[in-house]
Amino acid sequence: MDIDDILREVDPASQSIPAETRDLQALTRAWVAERSSPELLRWPADGLFERVNDRIKQQIERVEEMTGDMDPKTNFALIVIQTELERFKYLVRSYLRARIAKIDQHTLHYLSSPDMRARLSETEQAYATRHQALLHNHYLSSFLSAFPPALQNLNDSAGNISMIDTPDTDTAVFIRLLKDSLVEGRGTDGDGIMDGKNGDIIILRWSDAKPLVDSGRAEVI
Amino acid sequence: MSYYDIDAILTDAEKVPCKFELDVPELGYLDNNPAQPLKSGTTIGLPLWLAELLALANRVPSTADEDAKSFVSLNLPPALSNEVMSALKADPRAVPLRDQSHNFYGLGTRMLDLFEEKEICAVLRRTFVTRAADIALHAGKAGATDDMGVGAGEEFLRGLEEWERKLFKKAHDGAKGTKEWMEGVKKH
Amino acid sequence: MALPLPSGLVPAEVAFLCEMEMITIVPRQRLESIPMLSGNTPALRPPRRADLPLWLALLLKKQRRANIVPPPWLLPASLQEIIHIETNVDPQAFSPPPPPPMRSDGRGIARPYAVTTTTTTSSGRGGGGYGNANGRDEDPNTKELILAPPFLPSCTQDAPSGYLPYHWLEIAETLLAHAADDIPNAPEVRALLRDLQEVRAAKMRGSTQHLEGGGGVLNLRGVGAMELAESRGFVLGVVDGVRKLGASIEASRREEELERGDDGGDESDDDMEL
Repeated sequence: MDIDDILREVDPASQSIPAETRDLQALTRAWVAERSSPELLRWPADGLFERVNDRIKQQIERVEEMTGDMDPKTNFALIVIQTELERFKYLVRSYLRARIAKIDQHTLHYLSSPDMRARLSETEQAYATRHQALLHNHYLSSFLSAFPPALQNLNDSAGNISMIDTPDTDTAVFIRLLKDSLVEGRGTDGDGIMDGKNGDIIILRWSDAKPLVDSGRAEVI
Repeated sequence: MSYYDIDAILTDAEKVPCKFELDVPELGYLDNNPAQPLKSGTTIGLPLWLAELLALANRVPSTADEDAKSFVSLNLPPALSNEVMSALKADPRAVPLRDQSHNFYGLGTRMLDLFEEKEICAVLRRTFVTRAADIALHAGKAGATDDMGVGAGEEFLRGLEEWERKLFKKAHDGAKGTKEWMEGVKKH
Repeated sequence: MALPLPSGLVPAEVAFLCEMEMITIVPRQRLESIPMLSGNTPALRPPRRADLPLWLALLLKKQRRANIVPPPWLLPASLQEIIHIETNVDPQAFSPPPPPPMRSDGRGIARPYAVTTTTTTSSGRGGGGYGNANGRDEDPNTKELILAPPFLPSCTQDAPSGYLPYHWLEIAETLLAHAADDIPNAPEVRALLRDLQEVRAAKMRGSTQHLEGGGGVLNLRGVGAMELAESRGFVLGVVDGVRKLGASIEASRREEELERGDDGGDESDDDMEL
């Protein structure tokens, strides 16, 4: 056991916020951020979703057990457990769907570089690759093959405009500061800078907000 | 601008006045004069994508001491003329922007890329923000009455160009979603 | 389509979020602890009060298994005070949000609601844990998780009065709809809420009127989740529109600053094309 783990176990601050609350906060934050930011965010590397999915599976098993034993006293508990289960499933589903919607919209962009690919989970990478291949084959068989070879590409960048659509990372977003932080945002006539306080709700460009969000100093809302 | 953006493509097709800097044989028909070459100095409205290309490309000088010149020189389209700008400065709300151009602001940003016109940029931004406040008010009312504000609202919508219509829809959807939730919360 | 919703939470999603806020109840029946995904519920023993997520509190309320203790900020005197702040003290800004709740860390020191999780990536770091006492924030292996609404106790009986929490409107409407009999003087509360909504809606509308310069950062401290969901598309649409209209001016400003050697903006011009 690492010394940090021991320190953490004796630290009352982390003990009184149970792991379940932490995961729910992290899951909720990831969902809101994915729903509100203009580009696909990185798939959580700390195994959050794998953990949550495992626990959802366990809870479904528990529900099945409880349904088997028809004690009316557990009936209300069952309703509560099932209601909560549906809420968790909704969060996970909506999160995944928000991501797939972004991947669908800019598939080639997210497949175009190792950096972008790294944002996708393994399943999402497989999905995006297959989906793009299917789409390309469909285009080829229905119309692309009738074009002159020079016009068959889907990733041309002639004429100063790329066929690979990218999300506009300068789109404005709302963030909430979680710590007092210096906030810098590029503007039209002049750039903005402010001494942000914990709890401030700020509008700025996503490209300026991203470093704050990535470092955990702010969350997208 | 993105490759498949319909509004951007439509903006590309907006006509911009171009003054030809050279005679062009067999193009006289563009100026309703098919028997003659198109004369240097003639002004003709060309779609933005073509006008931009011709204005930015240099032709080979005919003599060694002549500077490289472009084929045409661009002018601001009527939608961004001094008259329209003065009217917008006087009262941004009074001008039906859609009559100027369906893609008024889109055209504006494209022209501002080509001309450094700080004044026009300032007028456009002030116009956009001032009219946006009106859009929020109308959209809020329409969102609260379920129809898109038939009657007076229809007249208002008619004067809005594309950016403004999108803004109206966003404001309307926000008001409508909130109202629906507020009514629904009592039911279950 | 994978998700037919616009970017940003819509009002229905905000309502879902607000149902995770903790709220205080007075149980009318015993109920044993229930093993939920978000942790075990406390065992309910009338008349001992307990804090539960709003969705569960409402479930108990509808089955007459519990009464709800309205948060202190929802009482008429508190709402009147807030309206006074909104209209007289600072008529431009939203009234301030509740101060971040603190709790004792067991050594008599107040700490914010946050947890530090250290992910030890390699055992080769040896005693790396020792040197971190004041540099935790910078350690790439340390990830601090700071709780934010709806996971802060801003709607329980211990919440401060005189401050509107982030989910104020949704909480208030939901409680008035389903637990009006638990709220003292509910008709007055309802009327005060309407006043508050109106005062604040005018501020929200006014917030876009100073945007034509495209200032870069705009602080809306104190705004509520539902108010934000209602105006998000519009406000962000105005900000984005101003940015696009000013894109060429901004690009040439940056070029000039670069030539003058200004250190004003540390961003390159690369991402300024539009």
